[in-house]
Amino acid sequence: MKIVIWGLELTAWATAGMLAQSGNDVFIVNDTQITDPVTLMGSSISNEPGLKDLINQQFDKNNLQFIQSSSAALLSTHFISMNPAEFEHAQNTVSQIAKQGLEKVLIINQSHFGVGYTDKLQKILDIEKDQAVVYLAENISEGEALKNIRKPTSLTLGSTNEWASMMTRSLLRPFSSQLEQLLVMTPKEAEFAKLSITGMLALRIGYINELANLAEQLDVDIEVIKQSLGADPRIGHHYLAPGCGFGGNTFSQTIKGLANLLSEKRQSQLLDTVLQENEKQKEQPFRKLWRHYECDIHNLNIAIWGVSFKPGSAALDSAPSLKIISALTAQQANVHIHDPEALENIEKLYGGHPQVHTYRDKYEALNNADALLLLTEWPEYASPDCEEMKERMLTPLIIDGRNLFSKELLESLGFTYYGIGR
Amino acid sequence: MSVKELPAWKALEQHAGTMRTTHLRDLFLQDTPIDALTDTPKTNNRFDTFSVSNESLLLDFSKQRITQTTLSLLKNLSKDCQLDSWKERLFSGDTINTSENRPALHTALRLPYNSQLSINNHNVVTDIQANLAHMSSMVARIHAGQWRGYSGLPIDTIVNIGVGGSDLGPLMACKALSDSQPPAGQQLKLHFVSSMDGSQIANLLDQLSPTTTLFIISSKSFTTIDTLSNANTARQWLKSASGVKDELLNRRHFIGISASLEKMSQWGIPEKSQLNFWDWTGGRYSLWSAIGLPIALRIGMTGFKEMLRGAHAMDEHFKNAPFEENLPVQLGMIGIWNINFLNIHAHAILPYDGRLSHLPAYLEQLEMESNGKSANRQGSSIDYHTCPILWGEIGPNAQHAFYQLLHQGTESVMCDFITSARRYDGFENSELQQQHQLSLANCLAQSRLLALGDSAIEGNDTAPIHKRYRGNQPSTTVLINELTPYSFGQLIALYEHKVFVQSVIWEVNPFDQWGVELGKKMATELLKPLLNEDTPAIFDSSTTGLLNSILSLQAQDKESKQ
Repeated sequence: MKIVIWGLELTAWATAGMLAQSGNDVFIVNDTQITDPVTLMGSSISNEPGLKDLINQQFDKNNLQFIQSSSAALLSTHFISMNPAEFEHAQNTVSQIAKQGLEKVLIINQSHFGVGYTDKLQKILDIEKDQAVVYLAENISEGEALKNIRKPTSLTLGSTNEWASMMTRSLLRPFSSQLEQLLVMTPKEAEFAKLSITGMLALRIGYINELANLAEQLDVDIEVIKQSLGADPRIGHHYLAPGCGFGGNTFSQTIKGLANLLSEKRQSQLLDTVLQENEKQKEQPFRKLWRHYECDIHNLNIAIWGVSFKPGSAALDSAPSLKIISALTAQQANVHIHDPEALENIEKLYGGHPQVHTYRDKYEALNNADALLLLTEWPEYASPDCEEMKERMLTPLIIDGRNLFSKELLESLGFTYYGIGR
Repeated sequence: MSVKELPAWKALEQHAGTMRTTHLRDLFLQDTPIDALTDTPKTNNRFDTFSVSNESLLLDFSKQRITQTTLSLLKNLSKDCQLDSWKERLFSGDTINTSENRPALHTALRLPYNSQLSINNHNVVTDIQANLAHMSSMVARIHAGQWRGYSGLPIDTIVNIGVGGSDLGPLMACKALSDSQPPAGQQLKLHFVSSMDGSQIANLLDQLSPTTTLFIISSKSFTTIDTLSNANTARQWLKSASGVKDELLNRRHFIGISASLEKMSQWGIPEKSQLNFWDWTGGRYSLWSAIGLPIALRIGMTGFKEMLRGAHAMDEHFKNAPFEENLPVQLGMIGIWNINFLNIHAHAILPYDGRLSHLPAYLEQLEMESNGKSANRQGSSIDYHTCPILWGEIGPNAQHAFYQLLHQGTESVMCDFITSARRYDGFENSELQQQHQLSLANCLAQSRLLALGDSAIEGNDTAPIHKRYRGNQPSTTVLINELTPYSFGQLIALYEHKVFVQSVIWEVNPFDQWGVELGKKMATELLKPLLNEDTPAIFDSSTTGLLNSILSLQAQDKESKQ
């Protein structure tokens, strides 16, 4: 089938790659002069594991091509995977398609514009001619995008048009091997459901972080409490890891959308509070360092392991590390950073800054360090050579923003250890 | 020789003889009638003759009981009193505050970067600019959310502790410039605490979070008991909440602003958190100095520098403009006319702009503490009136309070109407624009009615006496184009120089305030019996009686609790 992809978000590229791989002729709308897909993607998307290779491969095979928007509008199957801020662009796109007057046009909207926006797009089209927009909630998380598309266990489809539902199902067939449920509801419900899920996850993270901060004051280990919470079948273990806050563009933006909706329509501050507390939580490791050194860290050497907003991604979007680096440099500390993927991005932001230094070897970042801050739980940090760490550091002080290390082990080796809520 | 002996003074007295019986209504009747809506060619009407403007300020003196003769006689008086040479002495840093043996250099605080002003062979502008730079870095750090409290959280609340000039100026300016806040300024919560009895700080501390609150302790001497007792209460509050040692709290939660670095250090404020100003800045002239830190936090350093620039523009205007065009000189001299020749000893400050709500209190201090004096520079008593009683209130609110007295009472009162022409530009709510027009209409209506009396309303001259308005209350209208940091700087400097002009005519030193000293001493003596300490002092029967009553009431209270 010939499919057009509108948008340049991670979801757009991953969807394009996977659809092309499963035998469709996929066209990515590109009105720029850029001909190299990887350049067009930009580094934060091309760092997504497996994506660059998949896209290059499918371009080589001609399963994937660029197309001008004027020609794209003539085709009849479309995915819209745009940034939440691009609704106007989406409207223009749909108007352009509507103008062709084709019968049986399917537009699958995967963008988080908010609740009711798919219906707004539908109004531009003629439903009598089976020109339909459906909403397909994407379940992509950065770092696992291809896997998420290839084998989803559950999908939520917002559609009120039988033909469109049937068409969407058949498009998704190659990815349905492990699908346990496909929920079909109205587009508005599906948009709301998607927001609700994200909000729920944010609440869980916010809640466990609040508990962790309290546990610390009550001298209780949050890791024990976390086990107990997770063991309750009504709660389960997911999204209950205390840490120094969540980042990531899509996640944060979606929650912000829901928070705004809640405060506007319901005067509810529930999610606003979660977001505000999360911003505070991002600086938690800084505060522990600050208090340890009695509010004076100038000229200290502070090592940071992990700056991307989560392991598996090179992206720094809303990452806790950014707030911490600003706080450290503002207090005239020297910052020594290691990250397996995100160093280039940090260098783009801080290149030439006299207090910010980057290292390709994680141990080198520790030379003469007065503290190590672990901010992203990359697997390669999980079992470090503690002897080497201690040898290189001036003060064996570890602030573990993700509760990755064993507190007992480090303390037994003579480290001072601070976790989140322990 | 007393100023009263000067020929110019005598000439004014003689002129006043006729003017005292001349009604403003009659002065306006001499105008050629003009139609406000048509473009009438310039005539010699009172507004054209008696209004003066400079940059964003327009001062209308036409509702003052003056003629051109009055002005030319006042000009002679200013000459006879050597106003020009006094101005020169003020700006050059001459020791004109003789009772305290120092210059009064608030004008130096707003000199442009790279200026020169040498005092004892030292360029004070270098010190001032260094201090501004220090202030700038503090503002930047707080605005960036990088001034951290003891817990590491960013400071988001500022409490200014100070009294008198260390309170009124910043408080008034922060309110006045509330529409000029950058986003970082808007995010800060800013509070002012001055009252000695702790009633302000006690209520405030209940609502604040110790981890994110920073206190600015402002005191020129850093010995002011009102301020230090509030500061000690604040530190105790932080200490109980945090369990952190004083040294750390002093470092992260206090900024000191004083002319005494030594006293700030003694209290515990580290050098990095000290801002300096100098003994040549009087408290009531200090909002241009580091004392203005709360203003800079509110409107940003750019706004603060704009305010300084506006004040400097007024300095230059005061220094250079001829009598006929000089705003502060005319404002001051017409005041002299009202007080010393028309015998008016009450002065109402009436802003028609809610943002200027603290301006009356500010001007009360500026004028009454500067010129509320009865000894001249030569150390003799003087036999003429000086500063009148000043009071005021937001005009529309005062209309529902003391305007009754202005319109129908027995006292002559001179008024300053202060308002801005443009407001709420770019606001979406059109009702607000409407409210501004309503306020302007009231401002114009009241000054007109005060001047003309009921002759302004057709047919009212037959009303019963309790409905009659005699009018003839003089007023000046200060019309600001738009209230911005720049025009605000101009406005405040205008009043500072007006006060100076009057001090020159009255031959008083406007820069000391010996009248506030003795009360402090007396309070120290009276604290002893209140703390049940022995005192050799013997008080009058009234004081002794009140003391005994207080002590016995307090004792009853203690007994009932036991």
